[in-house]
Amino acid sequence: MKDDTILSVGIDLGTSTTQLVLSRLTIKNFASAFSVPRINISKKEVIYKSDIIFTPLLNQQTIDAEAIKRFVAEQYDKAHIDKQNIQMGAVIITGETARKDNANLVTEALSGYAGDFVVATAGPDLESIIAGKGAGTNVASKESRHHTANIDVGGGTSNLVVFDGDDVLDTACFDIGGRLIKIDRNTQKITYISPKVIKLIAALDLPISEGTKVTPSTLKPIIQVLVHVLENSVGIGERNPYYDMFITNHGLRLDYKIPALTFSGGVADCLQEELPTDIFRYGDIGLLLGNALRHSAIFTQKKIIHSLETIRATVVGAGSHTTDVSGSTISYTTGILPIRNLPILKMARQDENRDVNNLATSIAEKINWYRVQNELNNVVLAFNGLKNPHYSDIQRYAAGIVDGAAVLINKHEPLIILVHEDMAKALGHSLFARLPQHYPFICIDSVKVENGDYIDLGEPIAEGSVLPVIVKTLIFG
Amino acid sequence: MNEQDLKSMIENILTEMTDNSKKEDNSPAAVTASDSVESTESDEILDDITEIDLRKQFLVPHPHDREGYLKMKSFTPARLGMWRCGSRYKTASVLRFRADHAAAQDAVFSDVNPEIPKSMGFVMTQTTCKTKDEYLTRPDHGRKFSDDMAEKIRTNTEKSPKIQMVVGDGLSSAAIEANVREIIPAIKQGLKVYGLDFDEKNVIYVKYCRVGAEDHIGEITNADVVCLLVGERPGLVTAKSMSAYIAYKPTMGMPEARRTVVSNIHDGGLPAVEAGAYIAELLDKMVRLKKSGIDLKAVENETK
Repeated sequence: MKDDTILSVGIDLGTSTTQLVLSRLTIKNFASAFSVPRINISKKEVIYKSDIIFTPLLNQQTIDAEAIKRFVAEQYDKAHIDKQNIQMGAVIITGETARKDNANLVTEALSGYAGDFVVATAGPDLESIIAGKGAGTNVASKESRHHTANIDVGGGTSNLVVFDGDDVLDTACFDIGGRLIKIDRNTQKITYISPKVIKLIAALDLPISEGTKVTPSTLKPIIQVLVHVLENSVGIGERNPYYDMFITNHGLRLDYKIPALTFSGGVADCLQEELPTDIFRYGDIGLLLGNALRHSAIFTQKKIIHSLETIRATVVGAGSHTTDVSGSTISYTTGILPIRNLPILKMARQDENRDVNNLATSIAEKINWYRVQNELNNVVLAFNGLKNPHYSDIQRYAAGIVDGAAVLINKHEPLIILVHEDMAKALGHSLFARLPQHYPFICIDSVKVENGDYIDLGEPIAEGSVLPVIVKTLIFG
Repeated sequence: MNEQDLKSMIENILTEMTDNSKKEDNSPAAVTASDSVESTESDEILDDITEIDLRKQFLVPHPHDREGYLKMKSFTPARLGMWRCGSRYKTASVLRFRADHAAAQDAVFSDVNPEIPKSMGFVMTQTTCKTKDEYLTRPDHGRKFSDDMAEKIRTNTEKSPKIQMVVGDGLSSAAIEANVREIIPAIKQGLKVYGLDFDEKNVIYVKYCRVGAEDHIGEITNADVVCLLVGERPGLVTAKSMSAYIAYKPTMGMPEARRTVVSNIHDGGLPAVEAGAYIAELLDKMVRLKKSGIDLKAVENETK
């Protein structure tokens, strides 16, 4: 039997660079031909890596969406890929440019282009996870069976993630990157300083501002603080007074050990022992920061593992590691897929254990939370489910769902149910019996989601036995 | 009770025993201790050692990497990390092994509580085997029905049904008792999605049942598809594993390749209700394509 493949695209619009990768994911049935299918992604290959361009900006904050559109079209062309063939993917806007208005601009420009994907602004947490997976940190952690962190030092931010095998243990983000200060390569004069660094310069009382001519030694006090904060971020050394200032959203909890680290992001390519002669070659402080990191306590106190990707970690993560497949025993009606960007409404475990009426009431109440200005859009109802459910449990869940989601069913919104435990096919059959005739529904399992996540579901693959799923974790922790 | 409690309990008992024998004659303290051991008869029941999750039980005293070992253990039901006492297993491990082995034996040697199939309205039948011993020693007798029994099946079931459901004890009564009440309604519910159905009062229950019994039933009822739910030979991991052997128009002596199997139906494998839903889809496929086993796979691959 020939294995199915999914062509997936990842586009990363970062603070400083924009890139695109195309990946081929191979779907394989791991069970023998006569057993219940067990379908999983068996191989992830990056088949095309785009050029890396500086993110086209209209001003410091606004992305030039038209230029992005040209870039994507050009890359598809170079890769000899027809946009119709792309089934899944993620377009994420990360770092300092991750703003809602940018997402809308890019969505508009790329509509019908990237393959009909909703463009997401990745929160710093999602970006951290994607970069870590792209860097192969989870693989390293699985092999060594130790917690392993990745620090993705990009242009504007440093994204941290800690893996325990494939499980994400923690994430963090700091406003530290190679392009916090931009310098004209020829004149060696500063052309841009990020707001937080301006505050730092003021606090340190340094004679540095836009237009100042600089050398590595005049910048040294700033670089030292940045490196010190990064050391702090993985639990090394005394807290720097500016640690809190550089936090983007939150630091790591650090209630666990991190014996090993990987580095990714553009600055990971600059971790050199010796400073090169043309120190401002990239027009920023990336080389200085990389060199200082190389000599930092991180390198002496932690085991540094070679990462699979550096500057491309985030985009490879977005292209290859965001798509997963559902469980292999599921049920759905045809004609409603694909489904893009639906919010997850996850029921609490104690609500799940209630009787039909109470379960229905709590589902109905929670659906109401998603009413925006009296407008109700569809939501995905997610449950933990039971490990070895009784038939009566299935009936209870189904009855509770159909009663509780009455408001969605009256609007004829497709009913979409996610369960973590393996019970979706039985539950789907029970829903079928209770829903109006020919009512569209999807009921899949083996997908772990939390409130605040968004989800994309692709067209069925592997003879219709599984659905590709992208869970976009926008909130974490 | 967790593993730690069990360990300390066993340690206490052992130290008390050795202390008593050593000091019995000369120490009055020991005498009172031994008295108190004899006199404390309580109504408390010892915790069930089979409740301990073997994948989480880890008895190595000073492991170099506890987390790593436990992670490896989570992938297998094998009894790893059970440690030892001298050159032997620890008491807890030996008792657990014997308990699991006893459960497997019980599952083979005890009968399914007849109230379960009766209460579900099944047609009660028996192969030509008269006793458990005959059933275990003569597999061929477990694949056939007597003429009287064949007549009973004929008169109590529908003629030429699309789907004939059969439940057989097989080698594990525990598997049937644990799963059949969950899977039958799940299959029934699933079949409705495909416009198919069966009636519980037409389901045949077979005592002393081998897989081949479904072939004889296929010939007697002239059903399109026969689906046999049967208890599997128990092992030390679970005694409650059930399988479904499904065949299109089975005949006695047909090649085994014509059966489609759904195995490992138990609470640690494929949950019974989810298996039922999957079996319903399979049954629909077989009724439509008029094939089962390897033939069915071949047709599926062609149409791909």
